Amino acid sequence: MKRAVTVLVLATLTVALFYGQRLSAADTDFPIYFENSTLALKSQTIDKTTYLPLADIVKHMNLAYTDATAALTFTIQGQNSRLTLTPGSAFISLNDRPVLLQNPIRHDNGQWLVPLDFLSQGLSRVSGIEFRYRPGDLRVFAGGATPAELVMNAQSLGSTTRLTLRTGSRIEVEVQRDAAQHRAVLLLKGKPIDPGLERLDYKDRLVQSIAFEDSDGVARIVIGTTDDVRDVRITAAEENRVFFADFVGETVTEAAPAPIAPTAAGTPAKPDATPLNANVRVIVIDAGHGGIDNGASNATTLEKDVTLALARRLRTALQSRLAASVVLTRDADVVLTSEARAEVANNNQAGLFISLHVGYSPNKTDPGSSIFVMKGDFYTGSAAQTSGQQLFLPWYLAYRTSQQASHALASTLQQDLNQTLPGWKFPMRAGPVGVLASLTMPAVAIELGNLNNDVSSQTLLDPAFQTKVATTIAAAIEKFAETGTGARGQ
Amino acid sequence: MKTTIPRHIKFGLIALGLGFAITLGLFVDVIGRIQALMPDKKEVEENPFTPPKAPLYSQTDPPMQVKIFFPGSEAGDVILFAEDLMIFRSAELANRAKQVLQKVLEGPTTQGLFPSVPKDTKLLEVFIDDAGVAYVDFSDPLSANHPGGMLNEQATVYSIVNSLTYNLPEIRHVKILVGGAEKETLAGHLLLLPLEMDLSITNVMKPQEQVAHAN
Repeated sequence: MKRAVTVLVLATLTVALFYGQRLSAADTDFPIYFENSTLALKSQTIDKTTYLPLADIVKHMNLAYTDATAALTFTIQGQNSRLTLTPGSAFISLNDRPVLLQNPIRHDNGQWLVPLDFLSQGLSRVSGIEFRYRPGDLRVFAGGATPAELVMNAQSLGSTTRLTLRTGSRIEVEVQRDAAQHRAVLLLKGKPIDPGLERLDYKDRLVQSIAFEDSDGVARIVIGTTDDVRDVRITAAEENRVFFADFVGETVTEAAPAPIAPTAAGTPAKPDATPLNANVRVIVIDAGHGGIDNGASNATTLEKDVTLALARRLRTALQSRLAASVVLTRDADVVLTSEARAEVANNNQAGLFISLHVGYSPNKTDPGSSIFVMKGDFYTGSAAQTSGQQLFLPWYLAYRTSQQASHALASTLQQDLNQTLPGWKFPMRAGPVGVLASLTMPAVAIELGNLNNDVSSQTLLDPAFQTKVATTIAAAIEKFAETGTGARGQ
Repeated sequence: MKTTIPRHIKFGLIALGLGFAITLGLFVDVIGRIQALMPDKKEVEENPFTPPKAPLYSQTDPPMQVKIFFPGSEAGDVILFAEDLMIFRSAELANRAKQVLQKVLEGPTTQGLFPSVPKDTKLLEVFIDDAGVAYVDFSDPLSANHPGGMLNEQATVYSIVNSLTYNLPEIRHVKILVGGAEKETLAGHLLLLPLEMDLSITNVMKPQEQVAHAN
């Protein structure tokens, strides 16, 4: 008896597994964007193929059609052409000539269902409207509907998480917050949106999930937030082509990084602060190494700890001097690639970038300090890259846009550091430094001391010395910013 | 009084003993199989059937003076100092390159100069393409045991790049590989793209400038 029940259950499960896929025609929202309107459809997935209800599309497009239930044919009448469909067949008849689709037409429960390639193979030929879709996407763009491509990017900036949206054309963004539901919705208006990625794989203390949604034809980004989010601020830049959505966390002691717009809130406006060159409103400080990457080390000291301590002191020194907002690439012991560091600066439209490092020399007596700029002629004569032949430059040549300014910044820093730190020399050097290569703003890397030298590494750990270095660098940056050489794109 | 073990217990004990013996046998067998699957290190290292390495030069090749660049006490812009050493002018460019790199790995003989690469680094392979790019493949310690420091990393990278490009003009770019694979940087600082000679950080001038200077 028991065995019979087990066998029966197993058999039922097997059958359910086998037929389940065919039986369950899961409904998914599927919008079609036309030039002046949007049609929200329900698509069905049958045998791993996406099917759309034909009647809804044809009605929306105002095409003449006959649905001959008795003969089981569906005919669409265009201006000079006629399209006839029969259920169960992958052949459709266009002006009595057969056209082969990848999947058959279906007629289920009185409803005509067409596979996606019917739009481009059949419907566009009879209606004269072009349909564009990417395999795997749950949306179609038709005719003159030109979508704005959306690129999303998220990063943590201390107490704030910044979501950067970039679009090819101007759009409007509106925030709707629903704190009880733990989510914020950014409505994207003005243009149909073509997202490169449906969801962003990002999670931190403030933001739990970021996903693009347009199932009902209204494009929006749904962000799952935590209780810690106090405020959501939107700032537009570059004529509404770039938007910064800042999720401001609980600790409001540190001001949110200033967006580019001059009206932006969050800039710690010191009453006596120096009026800055308009281009150095954001300064990015990069603490070298971090996480599993210790950098150079000796018995007691790790480079990554010294650079982080210095970066924090430099932030304090800069904030008390300049009306600029200061962003650290890392404010914790985490590992970051060179590209990720450059991204922080490029995404925040920084006007200046300083990478902090500690030196190590096999020679114990070497002083070790240097100021590095990107090597100017780096990779120019290479077989892989000859100027004039290439339309696009690789990202690691981005530094070229601000080469002169980087040199000016380096020599200002060199002068001031040599002056205020007696006995320390900071020769200017050039090399193919990874973290500086893909930056579009003036950028230098400062390497301090020699961890292989006991005196040097003791001095590096001294808080008073660190503060002195930070103040000197801050003063040099102030000088540099005032001269106006810090313009982006020079 | 003689104690007799009851019969069922006797059988039980025998069954237990048998079970134990079989389990032990299976266990030993499994261990043996696992050990057989693992490569025998000794055998791999001392395998007499590996083909003998072709010599990098032959007895008749003439000697050739090369400048090998090593870090020394930094003086201003100069961080690499040339040391004059001898290799043999073998017919194959790749063999000459291997000899140069062997000298780099062996380290300096002059007092005051320092080795440029970590001690356990080995040269795995050298390949030179038609465009003059030398792909030089080192073992993992080059990156894993590198002590770090941006300037120090520059010394390591350009010790290799300059030693090759200065002595072998056919080589125009050097692409450093680690453990047979591309790596972004050695110790987090310098991009390991195909790199050109950079004598501005050495105490040596370009070969042609040297000639002009002498005249």
